[in-house]
Amino acid sequence: MKKFNIAITGLGGQGIITAGTILKNAVLDSAMQDVSGSERRGGAQREGYVEAFVKYIFYDSIAELQNPRKNMHSPMIASGDADVLISLEPLETLRAASYVNKNSVIIFNTNPHIPISVRMGKNKYPELDDILESLHGITENVFYYDFNKLSIENFGSIISCNVISLGVLFAKTNIPVSKNVIENILLKGSKAKDNLRAFDIGLNL
Amino acid sequence: MANLFVDGKYGDRGIILGNEAIARGALEAGIGYASMYPGTPASEIIIALDKNKKNIKNIYTEFSLNEHISLHGAIGASWSGIRSLCAMKNVGLNVASEPAHFLAYTGVKAGLVLAIGSDPGAPSSSNEQDDRWYSLHTYMPIIEPSNIQEAKDFTKKAFDISEQFSFGIILMAPSRLCHNAGILHFGDCLDRDLISGNFKRDPENYLNLFNLAVKNHKKYLERSELLKQYAYNSELNMIIDAQISSTKNSRIGFISSGVIYSHLIEALNFINADYYKILKLGITFPLSEKLIGEFLDNLDEVVIVEEAEGFLEFQIKKIAFEIGYHGKIHGKNIFKAYGELTIDDVIKGVSGFLGKAAPEHFTAAVNKSEILSAQIPQRMGTFCVGCPHRGTIYSILKASGYSNTDSKDRDVIIAGDIGCYTLGLLPPYNAMDWLTCMNSGLSIGQAISIADKSKKIIALVGDSTFYHSGIPVLMNAIQNNSDILYIILDNSWTAMTGHQKTPSTKTDIDGTPVPHSVNLKDLLKSLGVSYIKTVDPNSVKRFSVIIKEALKEKGLKVIIAKRECILQEERRKKIKNLKSKLENSSEIIYELQKERCVKCNECFVELACPAIQSVKENGINNGKEYYFIDPVSCVKCGVCYEVCPNSAIRKVEFNLNPSIDLKSQMHFLNNK
Repeated sequence: MKKFNIAITGLGGQGIITAGTILKNAVLDSAMQDVSGSERRGGAQREGYVEAFVKYIFYDSIAELQNPRKNMHSPMIASGDADVLISLEPLETLRAASYVNKNSVIIFNTNPHIPISVRMGKNKYPELDDILESLHGITENVFYYDFNKLSIENFGSIISCNVISLGVLFAKTNIPVSKNVIENILLKGSKAKDNLRAFDIGLNL
Repeated sequence: MANLFVDGKYGDRGIILGNEAIARGALEAGIGYASMYPGTPASEIIIALDKNKKNIKNIYTEFSLNEHISLHGAIGASWSGIRSLCAMKNVGLNVASEPAHFLAYTGVKAGLVLAIGSDPGAPSSSNEQDDRWYSLHTYMPIIEPSNIQEAKDFTKKAFDISEQFSFGIILMAPSRLCHNAGILHFGDCLDRDLISGNFKRDPENYLNLFNLAVKNHKKYLERSELLKQYAYNSELNMIIDAQISSTKNSRIGFISSGVIYSHLIEALNFINADYYKILKLGITFPLSEKLIGEFLDNLDEVVIVEEAEGFLEFQIKKIAFEIGYHGKIHGKNIFKAYGELTIDDVIKGVSGFLGKAAPEHFTAAVNKSEILSAQIPQRMGTFCVGCPHRGTIYSILKASGYSNTDSKDRDVIIAGDIGCYTLGLLPPYNAMDWLTCMNSGLSIGQAISIADKSKKIIALVGDSTFYHSGIPVLMNAIQNNSDILYIILDNSWTAMTGHQKTPSTKTDIDGTPVPHSVNLKDLLKSLGVSYIKTVDPNSVKRFSVIIKEALKEKGLKVIIAKRECILQEERRKKIKNLKSKLENSSEIIYELQKERCVKCNECFVELACPAIQSVKENGINNGKEYYFIDPVSCVKCGVCYEVCPNSAIRKVEFNLNPSIDLKSQMHFLNNK
């Protein structure tokens, strides 16, 4: 059995759940594949922490697929067990850093969203350099961009940050899914043209 | 996805949410009635059916006013021969516990399933209660699926069990299952043309009084015994035999259920220990003594892996005592009884018990995160940009002399309640003094107004919560002439759970008028409230004056803070703009002029609108910090413009030129 775990984190309204759903739709073609992963939903409330787990499972044999000791998977990702962490907010990258290990890839958005406690002067928002230092203490594979800027420049709003980050996922990791499959999923969805372009922007970063 | 949800057949595969899988299972079982009072994490169960109802033949869906009504509705449908699904969040069963306690007495006709979304860790609830304990007195059987496929399959099966044993069946789904999204293999649906109701009188079962009740009590205890025999043979329970023999390890076993079972399987694989004897319980009430006895036989030690206080452990220890089992039973001595039991907790517990180390990459990450987490500022949810509740909370705080920036405490008591406005209890507002269950605000508040006459009390309630069970509370306050200010935050929707209609909803999102909507003011009048004011919560200065005035009056005062939820208002605008293509319209922009801003923090900290942000000049770490309004997130509600004491926020109105491309004009304005 081969597994590939992706943790996507950020804030309510950033399209975290949508990004997870796009990735999950990529493994519907074969019965030997499975995917699951729970979501933490922000609900209507903004600023809340949101996460989506994408756990790909590729079975080696029918016997394995039918083995109750092998075919049941937790909806959560254990500490250190994510192959990739995508985070659309720097502080949340740090918070979710417990999911990754020294071989994992971290992709994150450098655009900060200041929490209320920092606003009130009760806490300090860490500097980007300090965040990077902490992340580099875990893995060398850290890629970061200002996704907000890229999305606003190209699409006039921050709506495409999530899909741009998926492009980066396919450019910088060994995700065992073909990028053509994702492009086909985007093609069938709403705002196909914008999403394909956003994905392409991410691919070329 | 929506089409597959309705039209999917055997052989189809699709990505689906756990909640939708439960709804799909009910659909495959041929339900004709679905009801709920919305509540996270269960809401999408009925939403999935409701939003597709035009394409589903013979289905009735209802967002009831409360869980008590909702479960009674499902019972009525079942008695009429229609399979029914009722869903609610964990605390919903407290409200529905009354019908739940009669359901075993009366039994069902067509299958009835009560799907409960529990919320361990309470990310969206005010408590962590494990509703399984209710079944010790309601006798409602409990089924616990472990993953998305089982959520669908077990729900479907639950309807058969319900009819066979004449019980309403509880389907337990914690938020980790409700909001798990993954692959579902669809099955076929029962013929929906066959769904038709026919209520037949059944006085023997439906009438419960004196000895009739006693007789029915005896009957359901007997049915529960029969169900135990069923549980012994049911494929919903499964024993996985040990793969090792004649070692000490072969005499250790694990028992688990639901999502925690999936954690257990993954944890055993994680530490290369996937060879122990395991009992997976799909039916967790009632337990079959025979099944438990056979599993325990030949085991020296058994570990029960479950969340919360140990409902399985409680039952299994009782069975072990009765059958004279002499081995050790572990459970809550290893796993905590509070908070969410995560995959990490299960890995740690199991590896600790077996004395088998977890992999290095796991322990390294756990250690690292302990060091990191100390440095990471907490992030808490807050009101959306433009949310009318921000105006209400701000106005209350201003009227009560509170200031966060100079640490002045307020001099009024604020009674909280359940809804989006609950977020007002968080910093920077700290605008609530208690939060427990629905409508605890006014009911506790009115007693405090009697017990402590030295303090002023404001009780908050949202429109949905008010209609849920607030009317009797208000009438009680009126009849006892309570000295309290009651603010109804009427945003016309049950917003937090995905905008279900409330009796206050006058117009649907697409502009169609909602029949039978309630005029709240008229309702209050007829209940006997004499002091009623209606105010726009975004007019914060006026609102705080009105609150101050109301607090001077004796007796019961009601203020209706009336403004539609901003998310719905924005959606409505979008639909309208698409229709009219925005010809000759004007656009308002609010701009914070940094040269006039003295950083008094009235907008940034006191009002704390997330659209007002700070930035360091020229992006330098030590540069001067100034505030600005983020044009991308601002929805132009204008509240910051009203609160700024230094006129640093400017309102600019542009007339858009219809002959030039609108998008480029907006782009220009937003980047100004």
